[in-house]
Amino acid sequence: MRKMLWVYGLALVISSSVVGLSGCSKTAVQSGGEGQGTQGAATGATPTSPSSDRSTSSADSFPDTTMQASSGGLRGLDKNPSEERVAGNSTMVAKAESSSSSAQQAVDTRAEQEALAATGLRDVLFGYDSWTISEDARQALIRNADWMKSNARAKVKVEGHCDERGTTAYNLVLGEKRAKAVRNYLVELGISANRLSVVSFGKEQPICTEHTDSCYQRNRRGHLAVKTGK
Amino acid sequence: MTQIKWVSALGCVLVCAVGAFGILESGAADVFLEATRPDFQKISLGVVGIKNAGGPDWLGGRIEEVLKRDVKRSLVFDLIDLPGIGIKVQDLDVGLQGGAKAALKQAAESGVSVLVWGKAGLKESSKDADADVSMEGFVYDSGSDEVIGGKRYAGSPSVVRMMAHRFADELVFRYTGEPGIARTKIAYVAEQGTARELFVMDYDGYDVRQLTADGSLNLMPRWSPDRRFLVFTSYRNRNSQDIDMIELATGKRWTVVSLGGLSITPSLSPDGNFLAFASSYEGNSELYRLDTRTKAVQRLTTNAAGDLSPSWSPTGRELVFTSDRGGGPQIFLMSADGSNVRRLTFDGDYNAAPVWSPRGNWIAYVCRTPRKEYKLCLITPDGQKRVQLTTGPGVDDSPSWSPDGRHLAYSSTADGKSQIYMINADGKDIERLTFVGTHNSAPSWSPAS
Repeated sequence: MRKMLWVYGLALVISSSVVGLSGCSKTAVQSGGEGQGTQGAATGATPTSPSSDRSTSSADSFPDTTMQASSGGLRGLDKNPSEERVAGNSTMVAKAESSSSSAQQAVDTRAEQEALAATGLRDVLFGYDSWTISEDARQALIRNADWMKSNARAKVKVEGHCDERGTTAYNLVLGEKRAKAVRNYLVELGISANRLSVVSFGKEQPICTEHTDSCYQRNRRGHLAVKTGK
Repeated sequence: MTQIKWVSALGCVLVCAVGAFGILESGAADVFLEATRPDFQKISLGVVGIKNAGGPDWLGGRIEEVLKRDVKRSLVFDLIDLPGIGIKVQDLDVGLQGGAKAALKQAAESGVSVLVWGKAGLKESSKDADADVSMEGFVYDSGSDEVIGGKRYAGSPSVVRMMAHRFADELVFRYTGEPGIARTKIAYVAEQGTARELFVMDYDGYDVRQLTADGSLNLMPRWSPDRRFLVFTSYRNRNSQDIDMIELATGKRWTVVSLGGLSITPSLSPDGNFLAFASSYEGNSELYRLDTRTKAVQRLTTNAAGDLSPSWSPTGRELVFTSDRGGGPQIFLMSADGSNVRRLTFDGDYNAAPVWSPRGNWIAYVCRTPRKEYKLCLITPDGQKRVQLTTGPGVDDSPSWSPDGRHLAYSSTADGKSQIYMINADGKDIERLTFVGTHNSAPSWSPAS
């Protein structure tokens, strides 16, 4: 009986390995094919946004960054060393951009906050690691959708936020899933998708910075902001 | 019973063969085993001192202190406390005459392999506070019983730390042929109000420089192989999150990926020919690579889950990345063209932010422990060995290898606010690097110069 189990286990291991392998190669073919399909469809060096004032043309957008083979400026020890000049730090220190973009963003943010206060649009809270719309969230979104229906020209940006646990990168993806879950539910409630945009802030814009469960819960939110300006 | 053993042995043979086939197929010559052996015999080195020869009071002591810390952090040398083993440092003045000769002999007999000393002063006799500083350093090797060489440096008073760093790197270079890490830098993100801006500091936390000041979010910087640029995610364009590039020497900045949606976790291949990144512009987060010469974008992953955080193997043939295709985030490997995908981590339900070590033998990542703590873990690319590197309170995030593969920089909330720390790859010697500011995160360690 035990021998049977062993053999059975072995067969399982082998077959699952084989399945795993063939699964992989299938994925490979698929992604390779898809990859070729999308090649050139989107150029990485698209012209930069009009708001970035220090942008360059796409022609010089990717410099050669190959590391030159060298001993890194080291010349080795010398019995009669000649003097080497040590240069200062060549890193350029940034000056605050007084220009349009940051100042405009601050103005826009304030306008959004004021617009939001006037609307009473509600935040939606999420569970740990989750982007599922809870029953409470549904109720809030129904009210938000009602507001959007009676303010038919308003456009809303749905922000996805996370608590501080987990990685910066994965929380950006998680925040986007939350924002899209909110958007999709609003669309189900009859709001036109072109009135809704999504943005993820991951764990980068917490409204609460304590390391407590109640604080974490407040940060795991979908936030609706009325879009102002363009 | 013997039959059972036979069958299980056979099972192993078959499974191992399948595993080996997988590795061969992927061309993973990336595993340089034993590159950083735990039993590596460090070279014992004593710093006799850097004497002041006419400069400001702090000069010699400052250089000596920086040099000693560099020597210790190199992990190539074992820094010997000379007075601690009964060597009278004052006898070991410069040169090899008289009492110094005897003291050198005594140090050698006590097992000290290398002795270093030097002096520092003003370049010209001047009362000008900005007058150039000079430094001389010498290296005695007990094996050959001679001064094997030295260095002379000159520069403004603002570069005295760099003089010590250069000298430390010359010592590492002399004894290992590697360039050392004392002149490397760490880029990171710091909170300024509601903004997140990019900063760069020396690897020991000194000489902090602010790189961006646009008032928006600038996230997860990564170095170019030549150390001249950083690539990062920018929220400056309000309608999509793009990947920007900034040149350190000029502050010039421009957008290199603007596809719409959220584009994050850029990473340049070791040869600089490809930029791997994650973008949600076609729906959910997928991995892409941009050919930096032709500007063509190739999609590498195709599934309904989130794929992100690509990190290149040192040969550039493979990528390690995060995917939640199995539910929670786990670490996966694939060839650089997107083929041959296989899952690497099976312990725990949250593993993310993988980074491949420069020597190829380990992949560091953030692992969630059974107690729901976010800590650093290491795993070999074949999945055979796994260790948890950090313990205790706080959320650890964003591991980044030093170019010698002997250290990791990472962020942690162990002391309350998120700050940047350094840890040896064996889990020892945690050192906090940032002390200013309320939130410092996402460190990226530069390549060696």
